[in-house]
Amino acid sequence: MNLRRIYTIVKLEMIRLLREPLTSVFTILLVPVLILIFGLTMGDNYGWDETYSVFEIMVPGMLAYGSLLSIYDVAASVAGGRELGIQRRINTTPLTSAEYILGQLISYTIKPLIQFLLGFGIAYILGYRPTILAIGYLLAIVLVILLTFCSVGLGLITANFSKSAAAAGGFAFVFIVPQQIFATFIPAAFMGAGSFKWIFPSIYTTEGLGYIFSGASLTTSYLWLRLGVLFAITVVIYLIGILVFEKNKNK
Amino acid sequence: MVTDIENEDSNIGKQNDNSNSIEVKDLKKYFIGKRKMEDVKAVDGVSFHVEEGEVFGLLGPNGAGKTTIINILTGILSPTSGTAGVGGYNVETDLKTIKKMISVCPQEPAVHKYITGLCNIEFFGTMYLMPKQQIAERAEELLKLLGLYDARKRKVKGYSGGMLRQLSLIISLINDPDILFLDEPTVGMDPRNRRKVWEFLSSMKKHDRTIILTTHYIEEAEALCDRVAIIDYGKLIAIGPPKELIKEHGVKDLEEVFMKITGRRILEGM
Repeated sequence: MNLRRIYTIVKLEMIRLLREPLTSVFTILLVPVLILIFGLTMGDNYGWDETYSVFEIMVPGMLAYGSLLSIYDVAASVAGGRELGIQRRINTTPLTSAEYILGQLISYTIKPLIQFLLGFGIAYILGYRPTILAIGYLLAIVLVILLTFCSVGLGLITANFSKSAAAAGGFAFVFIVPQQIFATFIPAAFMGAGSFKWIFPSIYTTEGLGYIFSGASLTTSYLWLRLGVLFAITVVIYLIGILVFEKNKNK
Repeated sequence: MVTDIENEDSNIGKQNDNSNSIEVKDLKKYFIGKRKMEDVKAVDGVSFHVEEGEVFGLLGPNGAGKTTIINILTGILSPTSGTAGVGGYNVETDLKTIKKMISVCPQEPAVHKYITGLCNIEFFGTMYLMPKQQIAERAEELLKLLGLYDARKRKVKGYSGGMLRQLSLIISLINDPDILFLDEPTVGMDPRNRRKVWEFLSSMKKHDRTIILTTHYIEEAEALCDRVAIIDYGKLIAIGPPKELIKEHGVKDLEEVFMKITGRRILEGM
């Protein structure tokens, strides 16, 4: 495992982030902009339930949504690299699969974390004041990272079925939209999701973040159960994603 | 007799002799036919040996199996059967070692479009863990030599087809490989740049670098290659130095050699 190679891959992805407008809008700016729009237009008056502000209801889901967008990012990037033959070329160099995957994973984790910080910062500026214990920030980041890893896995699976970057970008929404509607910033109960919501990995992050932001005790099973289930789902999906990627990396 | 392909000696057993030679023995690659179609025999029992420091050409029409052979030798594809050795190492078991001594210039440019040409070169140089200073010096030398120096800081997105090919070639040369695989390296280049590339590749011979290239340009094969293997429908139909093949068949160029053996022209299928 060579750190210089991993750093080079991360650096390249960061340059892509800055130079490809669609990537930067999707992976950096979308969540902060959504929070800004909802915050400014709805403020403290959340239509469905006036005992909550728009921030309390929507910010945890919005921040989870930021991780979901990695599905699009990974799928389009991997399928695009394959389409251009870059992936094959890289595979003829001494770079190992472990180095490549770790480099990609770090890059794809940085982006949702930037969204998380920007989104949370904008909500804070607009007046959101969650009661978070110090360790709560750490757990919130863990939840976001876990969902991002899971999304990277789903992105790799999506890329496997797509012949081009454009197709992969489209297919990615098969995984993004249901999770977005039933398990992020639109409360699952309002969508009539009921127990159906538990099949979506994003619900565990959304509810976990909501719980942490409420300032409740961090030792209850409510939080740790969600963290544990998300961890298990993530391991399974991520491993499937890696296997699929390994199988098709020379396509 | 130069075309006697049965007499191609095999050194595949002499693994790890650290030479820059290439050894292919009864190599087969079949792609399983989909939807009740027959299997495609992309490579069908090909054997040849490439000496260290030799420029060896794989000549044949599109779909003959040239790229598939390169892909097997560089670890992109696994053979259905047969053996292939690069630098004395087996491609199926010693790929990690082989990757350190080879470089590939694929048929498509295969470069990152949203960064500059120089960034692309640096990226691939780093993959071989070359020191930064060495990458910079080698990149400057190659960029000047192949006429891309002025465009080095431009985003690749704005490069012409010919420039992309030049950049792709520079990337494949950045690590100064012992063994270089070039898949149609000059397609899309103007005649001036093509000549430059030929001159450069010829100069590599002096440094005992082994080059294996695929081409469907007769002129390129005749100008560059010490020996050529003519491939058709996955089979090796003739092998030897271009001049000897031409002389043996009593024709004026390799195109006619191909035509005499197959009854078709190389460029017919293009």
